[in-house]
Amino acid sequence: MSSLNAVQIEIIRNALVSAAEEMSVTIWRTSRSSVVREILDYSTCVFDANGQSVAQAARMPVHLNSMAACLEDLINHHIPITEWHDGDVIITNDPYSGGQHLPDIQTFRPVFHEGRRIAIAGILVHHLDVGGGAPGSYYAEATEIYQEGLCIPPLKIVEGGKRNEAVVKMLLANTREPVNVGGDFSSQLAALETGALTLQRIGKRYGAERLANACERIQAASETQTRAVFAEIPNGVYEFEDFVDDDGIELDRKLRINARLIVDDDSVEVDLSQSSSQAKGPVNCTFNMTRSAVICGALMAIGREVPANAGCYRPISVIAPLGSVVNARHPAPVANRMAVGHRIVNAVMGAFAQAVPERVPASYYGVSYAYALSANNADGSRQVYFDLECGGWGGHPDGDGANGFSCGFHNISNTPIEMIENDYPLTFLRYGLVPNSGGEGKSRGGLGLVREFRLDAPEGTFAANLDRFKIAPYGLEGGEPGRVGQLIMRRSGSDTEEILASKVAGLNMKTGDIIRLETAGGGGHGNPKDRSKSDISDDLFEGYTT
Amino acid sequence: MSTKPTTSQSSSVRIAVDIGGTFTDLQILNEATGINYAHKTPTTPSDPSEGLLTGLQEAAELFSFSFDQISILIHGTTIATNAVLERKLPTGALITTAGFEDVLEIGRHLRTHVYANKAEERTLLIPRSRRFGLKERTKADGSIECALNDDYIKALAQQLTDCGAETVAVSLLHSYANPEHERRVAQIIEQCLPQMRISISSDISPEFREFERTSTTVLNALLMPVVGDYLKRLEARLTDHGLTAPVYLVQSNGGVATPKMAARHPARLLLSGPSGGAKAAETIAHRLGSLNLVAVDMGGTSYDVSLVEDGRVHQVNQGEVDGCPVRLPMVEMRTIGAGGGSIAGTDTAGGLYVGPESAGAAPGPACYDRGGKRPTVTDANVTLGRIDPLHFLGGAMRLNATAAQQAVTTDVAVPLKLDLEETAEGIAQIAVAHMASAIRLSLFEKGLDPEDFALISFGGAGGLHACDTAKELDMKQVIFPSDPGTLSAWGMLYADIAHDLTSAQLMNADAGAKEELAKTIAILSAEGLKRLSADGIAEKDQKLAYTLDLRYRGQAYEIATPFINTDDLESAVATFHELHQAQFAHSDTSATPEIINLRMSAIGTLAKPKTNNIASGDGKPRGHRRIYSQSRWHDVPIIERASLETGTLLYGPLIIEEAHSTILVPHDWSLTPEATGELIANVCIGDDT
Repeated sequence: MSSLNAVQIEIIRNALVSAAEEMSVTIWRTSRSSVVREILDYSTCVFDANGQSVAQAARMPVHLNSMAACLEDLINHHIPITEWHDGDVIITNDPYSGGQHLPDIQTFRPVFHEGRRIAIAGILVHHLDVGGGAPGSYYAEATEIYQEGLCIPPLKIVEGGKRNEAVVKMLLANTREPVNVGGDFSSQLAALETGALTLQRIGKRYGAERLANACERIQAASETQTRAVFAEIPNGVYEFEDFVDDDGIELDRKLRINARLIVDDDSVEVDLSQSSSQAKGPVNCTFNMTRSAVICGALMAIGREVPANAGCYRPISVIAPLGSVVNARHPAPVANRMAVGHRIVNAVMGAFAQAVPERVPASYYGVSYAYALSANNADGSRQVYFDLECGGWGGHPDGDGANGFSCGFHNISNTPIEMIENDYPLTFLRYGLVPNSGGEGKSRGGLGLVREFRLDAPEGTFAANLDRFKIAPYGLEGGEPGRVGQLIMRRSGSDTEEILASKVAGLNMKTGDIIRLETAGGGGHGNPKDRSKSDISDDLFEGYTT
Repeated sequence: MSTKPTTSQSSSVRIAVDIGGTFTDLQILNEATGINYAHKTPTTPSDPSEGLLTGLQEAAELFSFSFDQISILIHGTTIATNAVLERKLPTGALITTAGFEDVLEIGRHLRTHVYANKAEERTLLIPRSRRFGLKERTKADGSIECALNDDYIKALAQQLTDCGAETVAVSLLHSYANPEHERRVAQIIEQCLPQMRISISSDISPEFREFERTSTTVLNALLMPVVGDYLKRLEARLTDHGLTAPVYLVQSNGGVATPKMAARHPARLLLSGPSGGAKAAETIAHRLGSLNLVAVDMGGTSYDVSLVEDGRVHQVNQGEVDGCPVRLPMVEMRTIGAGGGSIAGTDTAGGLYVGPESAGAAPGPACYDRGGKRPTVTDANVTLGRIDPLHFLGGAMRLNATAAQQAVTTDVAVPLKLDLEETAEGIAQIAVAHMASAIRLSLFEKGLDPEDFALISFGGAGGLHACDTAKELDMKQVIFPSDPGTLSAWGMLYADIAHDLTSAQLMNADAGAKEELAKTIAILSAEGLKRLSADGIAEKDQKLAYTLDLRYRGQAYEIATPFINTDDLESAVATFHELHQAQFAHSDTSATPEIINLRMSAIGTLAKPKTNNIASGDGKPRGHRRIYSQSRWHDVPIIERASLETGTLLYGPLIIEEAHSTILVPHDWSLTPEATGELIANVCIGDDT
């Protein structure tokens, strides 16, 4: 076989990216639930024959970086690669087997050409509900993973093309939303088949050997580019820390995320050893999650586009001691792992800001604002409304932070209010920007959002997993922090605003009760005194500030 | 096609005018003989109606007809799109339900660049200071929770005046379910401010999803003055010069509308650019009996893909202009950044990329000698001998082949340690790979297979890559239409009047829905027929077609399902299950789908022009030149398109040249010039290396 030139590699790379995109399109068009269909909480990825990621459909950093680690875990510790056969699909949602939290179900399908494994297609979908103590499986009072829902250990959900209906039945018997989850799950498996077909075609066209060679070269190129960017950063040790408000159980214990960034020529190490010991409540990260957050923070901080695949992960190493909030020990609860996950991204970016202050923006809102309302209708039926929100971006050395826009570790779309009101017994009273919530600075932080809704069903139960109610998104270079978020309840007929904690489990609601969520604004960048007069007056005129 | 004047004094002519950024293209059809003529004149950006008139006058002179012989004037224009892209928009305001004034600014808040360190720019057409909340509330079922107070609207009218708004968009929650509040707002504002232009969302885009509906209504509001004023100027100019024929505007849905309708619904013109080309593809599909076509248009910076399936152009119900959603029926188009101007380069890790960055027209490819130094796809084609530097644009522009080779060498061949020819061919191959991926994804989304389609290629840069792209996708046939330079205008000659009406109908598709559907059909059909009659369409030429947007409960995406009438609901549901199975590889026949919208197209059929055969040439090549293909040089014949002999079978490799395009027929392809003017390339079976 003659060695591949740059033209052939680029052509194969293009084909692999198309495979990931085709899977992504299939899920988007065929899924059932609002989490998938409007919020777009899923990711697709193509791995080489050894399970190293090589192409992905740009979507959600938290998923993409950790699917590779999950796959590695599956192969190394659970189902040896020799047992992955054509027509198999391996599944897990176990955070302690490389997963993230139980609603995120990951599936992997090996693809063969002429009897040889040439690639693995992978898809992660956030499912609406997998049981546990609260609707949406975000049980804020969980102290063990057993309270968070059904755990699917690594197993073959499809074997030789035959779906294991017993496992599917078990899964659907343990969710509050069997129809939606069943539909989404079928769509997830269908999309894997789509990916497999495309990858088989690529295998047929180029042959296993050339494909393997191309994958290697694609990853090596990304590694080279990433190393070149790190090499521009002055060697040294940079430290930054940020905090999670609390774990929802021990309310006066704030959780420290300490990032010690060691830049050594063209590689970086992020040592999180000085972070808090693991939390009682469900904000913990397992190691894969932490690693994913560090990679996300590093890639965002450098402010250069590098192709995201296994190659760009290689120059980044992560230290996180077992038993800490960044590497929890089984059976610690993890449902709201995004609380610590976002904060790792914030801390890592903050550490990079010490090294390259001209590149890194102030803190973004740093919370996934996951909340769920289970409504009990008069006819005895129950419906779970689940949603996610975002807030403001941090001010950037080159300009203001964006208002109400997805940033950092996640990337979500909102659900149209008209769609929610058509599907659920809710009425929205407000959806807008929160004036004055952006941190002041030469570059102002972006504004947070406010979402306010009323329950119209006789009864309901509200749950929320939020953060940054106490510790504000930091400013940089003299910029002020962004405003913290808050959650407010107004009981039917009352004018009194009841201030809720950031983590809420099973709060009972009745018809007419109103919930208001305000999300955090981004931190400011640079001294507010240096802000231009026209920017200040524009902000006042448009009502971004008052 | 022809430049010889032959129009007789008595016959009528139909004219289509397509105003683009640089040129105004005209197609003139003699309705008696079926012979058509092409003409081009420079666009006059400050007032495009001036160039239009000039073009008409020139054509009348050239092809000997007078303005009173014109039966219909069909007009395609990018005036709406350009006004948005260049932000030449009037001061507008937005009225929403109180508490939802920021929906327009928040959008769907999903970012495109996953690891971006600075947020991408988002288009915001109406600033916060000109968005006003109104205390009122309609619920999802159309019931009123909080009634409107006329005094609030009057107070708002004052605020509109104070902020200097010339036009206002009104988008209230759930107005698609009950338009009462929006209509009342419009009525009172009209009374208070007779000069104000008003667009209400229940009229412009009556569908659920508040951001998309609001965005569409805002665009419509901002375009009303732009398009309205333009049409007034146009009408005056035409009348002044004795042109009294009916004028129709091309819409995004491939149909045409009267100026009156276009002035009220200018957002319907926003994505009309591809309509002409798509209509041309549809017409050719029927003429050649090749009903499944992928139509591709490769220009300087972009590559547009649309589909004709079963003889009909694929439509979608949403598109986007500059990041703003437009929720209206339109010709489906996938666009990627691949064109003649796409720049090739290397990254720090020794990788080769092509596009999406483009050199555009200025500075342009290196071979243009206008200051561009970076190699482009066009430079690669010049290097490979596929473009003749002396015959570019029919010889109107001389290219610098040395500059092209220099750019390819310096920027790509040297850093990658590859030969010049190998590099140039590689650049073309990567461009082809991107284009093939775009086509595959377009088909793939619908569960369609490229092998069941033929490719139809137009646009200046497309002819050189069409056969290679088809081969990449296992497509067996490529069609090259005649007059590719004015194809869009030619397609417009075949357009019909089309009014799209929509009614949001969120309910289960079962027997319980029939009564409501029947009521809605009665309302929509009455409105549709009223509009067609107002357009002057005779009853026999009026046609109504319905579709239901159906989905399984909870899905994000609806499938447009053909629907005849309420008695047909069961078979529409069965069709939906089948379409779902075909497109998504699964279906659930036990489930009752949900109806989201009932859509109706009211079609006013315009008489179809006759076709006529072109004159055959002698088939003699103009000469030979060396071109590089499949890793070696070949000496190939160069034939002028006009001298092709119809009906003969030619074998590649060969080059066909015409004024605005060059076609490469590779060595494993054959070519047949059809009497109707199209060239048809077929892959040679058994020569698959």
